[in-house]
Amino acid sequence: MSAIQVEVQGLSKSFFDQARGEISAVREVDFECRSGEIFGLLGANGAGKTTTLRMISTVLQPSNGTARVLGHDVVREPVEVRRNLGFYSASTALYPRLTARETLTLFARVNKYPAERTSSRVEEMIERFGLGDYAGARIEKLSTGMKQKVSIARTVVHDPPVLIFDEPTVGLDVLNALDLQTGIQELRDEGKTILFSTHIMSEAERLCDRIAIIDKGRIRATGDLEGLRAATSQHYLEDIFVHYVTSNDTSV
Amino acid sequence: MNRRTVTALVVNDLRQLARNPRVLVFAVALPLVMWPLMWFLTSLTTERRQERLESRTYNYAVAEDPASADAQAWLERALAIVGDDRASGDPDAADGPTVRFERIETPADVPAALDAQQLHVHVAWESGTAESGAPLAVFTYRADLDASGAAEGFLRRALQRTRVEVRQQRLEAAGFHTKPEDLLPVERVETASEEQTSGLFLGRLLTAIIVMMMLTGGSIVATDALAGEKERGTLETLLTTAASRVEIVTAKNLSILAVAFATSVLNIANIVLWMQLDVIPAPEGLKLIIPVGTGLLLVLLYAPAAVLLSSSLLLVSGRSKTYKEAQLLFAPVMLIAMAVAAIPVLPGVELRSAIVLLPIANLGVAAREILTGHYDWPLLAAAWTVTGGAAALLARASLRTLSAEKLITASELDAADLAGGPALFPRRVARWFAALWALLLVWQLNIGGNIDSRLLISINMAIFGAAAWLMIARYRLPAREALSLRAPPTGAWLGVLIGAPAGLLLADGVVRLASLAMPIPEAWIEAMAENMGAGLPLWQMLIFFSLMPALFEEVAFRGVLLYGLKHRLTTLQLVLVAGIAFGFFHVDLFRIPPTSLLGIFLVVTVIRSGSIYPAMAWHALHNALALGSARLEQIRLPEQPAWWHYVLALAAILLAFRLMHQNHQRASRPAASGPEGSVPGG
Repeated sequence: MSAIQVEVQGLSKSFFDQARGEISAVREVDFECRSGEIFGLLGANGAGKTTTLRMISTVLQPSNGTARVLGHDVVREPVEVRRNLGFYSASTALYPRLTARETLTLFARVNKYPAERTSSRVEEMIERFGLGDYAGARIEKLSTGMKQKVSIARTVVHDPPVLIFDEPTVGLDVLNALDLQTGIQELRDEGKTILFSTHIMSEAERLCDRIAIIDKGRIRATGDLEGLRAATSQHYLEDIFVHYVTSNDTSV
Repeated sequence: MNRRTVTALVVNDLRQLARNPRVLVFAVALPLVMWPLMWFLTSLTTERRQERLESRTYNYAVAEDPASADAQAWLERALAIVGDDRASGDPDAADGPTVRFERIETPADVPAALDAQQLHVHVAWESGTAESGAPLAVFTYRADLDASGAAEGFLRRALQRTRVEVRQQRLEAAGFHTKPEDLLPVERVETASEEQTSGLFLGRLLTAIIVMMMLTGGSIVATDALAGEKERGTLETLLTTAASRVEIVTAKNLSILAVAFATSVLNIANIVLWMQLDVIPAPEGLKLIIPVGTGLLLVLLYAPAAVLLSSSLLLVSGRSKTYKEAQLLFAPVMLIAMAVAAIPVLPGVELRSAIVLLPIANLGVAAREILTGHYDWPLLAAAWTVTGGAAALLARASLRTLSAEKLITASELDAADLAGGPALFPRRVARWFAALWALLLVWQLNIGGNIDSRLLISINMAIFGAAAWLMIARYRLPAREALSLRAPPTGAWLGVLIGAPAGLLLADGVVRLASLAMPIPEAWIEAMAENMGAGLPLWQMLIFFSLMPALFEEVAFRGVLLYGLKHRLTTLQLVLVAGIAFGFFHVDLFRIPPTSLLGIFLVVTVIRSGSIYPAMAWHALHNALALGSARLEQIRLPEQPAWWHYVLALAAILLAFRLMHQNHQRASRPAASGPEGSVPGG
């Protein structure tokens, strides 16, 4: 069995609002991800997916519980965690006035990628993501699809073992979304651990090796698709999702 | 901190700026042209206006039937020299005046004629109105109309010169051949060098100029630094990289400083260039020769101010939700900074005063003194340290802003914000006391020294009492616990009796030690004696200078302040911070060291005894003994204490604290289960 790369135990997060008081966004979430797997967090908008992933990427501090990336605690060793992590989401934008090459160089450097290999790694990324013709163009001049490729390239430029994709296909057209999904699968095949959040059932079904269904901040079920089907006697993921979200069943 | 990471981030920020042509044009290039252009146009239009006013004909009218023939003669003499204002030494005036006055008939309606500009000035004579019996000239004109105002000015000045000439003629006719100015000739001998005079001029303005340039230049990057990144969505990208928060804040500060420095140099070079081209007039007699050593000292001196300014800009940028909001919030920051930076312009403000405690202003006064050749090294170091400390605090605050979750989430509050009350107070206490300190500083500097010392003490104590009450009420603090209103162990009183006299001797030692670096002026000692109520009856002195401070200052400092800080600091930090803060509230520079020591003793007293009452007693006894020592021979401190006096005093203090602690432990043991029995801060 492959090694556990991300380990989450009892992770909780509360926000505070003048009108609504304390809001529990994530409640005692437990899961673990192994190398070479895509672990999906499937939930509706506001279910707690992004908050969970932001805690793992050290941007938010957990109110309770722990999360470790390659054994590094997200609270005590945030820099080590981030060094081993690539974070991609629809809300993580790029610097519009940098070129694609400059963007990749910047992110390799700030992620402490070895200086002597930075240049060759950047060229490798440019070639891999087909950015050759646009490497010298500013991000603001690129199409949405090209920007998305640069975004993925900057996420993996420092060769992190763990990658987080938070609803990465939001706002993309079908072809670009499929392209992205293929890229993610390739990264999985290279042995990367991938945490993937989505509210799109077909995407989760196609990509994820294991799925955690999250609702109102709680994990309702975790397992591979076959396991979830067996546990709920439902074939389609959509029905499985509805089953767990509308009942209190947390059997898997 | 990884230098490569910081460099990459700085290069990125500068690259973003360099590739933003709009910002470069409007924030950098345009001001370089606009300021000299505005200056040039202003002087050009002023010159043209002056030329026009001096080369035209003005209409004047004189009231019919002049009361005095003499008066008419005066007017004629004045008209002969009218417009020759520049005759005194101005080579341009060699061609003589070109101003001409034409007399017209007095119109029936003088105001209407003035309004229509047919008439520019009307002269009337009133006989014998002046005390000397001489006729009084009454000019009627319109100040809001250029020509009318100028006509009145020319005619009045000409008449005044005529008056001087007539007076001289009359004096000579009466046998007084000596000119008034020859009666007591005055010759000026100035010992300041040209550099010192220029240094004073430059020193007054230098800080304000630097602060303005740093802020305007720095804000170009600062707006984008966090607020812009937030708005663009790149902040979350940055926060999920392996760059630590310290590296990010350092890089942002360096970017702000680099741009602020570059734009300041550009602007200064620009002004110097235009001065060389005579587009901008250079101040008369300004001799700007700054030796290399002095220049380097100034650079070193201003370094903490630069960090302080960049950190405040970064802080504002981090607290703003949008780019626009950041731009809006920069205005008050700029106003406050400029107000503080303008303090060196005020006459009589010396570095060896409370001003050394005010960041930026202290460096401004220090720079002024350096540029006039005065190097007060201990105070320079103190000013540098104070501003450096403030810069460090602000840098830390901007670091905390970058770690704040509200940067990337919609959540505006955290648990303490929501709960408010006692949970929020530890985070607000520093702000309250900072505001209180600023209030006291302004009050002491402006009014404090000019009123009766009893009234001064009463108002100060009222401020402390009201502030403590406000904080307790606003944050719903449990008064008994916040103020440590607990019965002290019996031994604490013995500790006070031993500790207070020993503490006074040690405070005296601290004053002597501090005076090695900062000799206390005699004038200060006399002023202190006056302020301390010299001449008051003993009972009044004890009430105003011993009992009242012991009550109100203890409630504020060893009560509310200590309660607010105790959950955020370790015991050692608490003792030092709360103790030294108390010293800083004694605004006067020379009182800070001994009162800080007293503050430290009093904080330890509360922590050791678990009660505020022994601290009140210690404070009252300390002040009473200090007053007594000044007035009564029987309890006077030794003139030159020996070293073993201080060793004994220190031993006595330690014994006092030990007594309090042992007694407190014994007293609190049965109540250990309840919150009342807890040791504050310990």
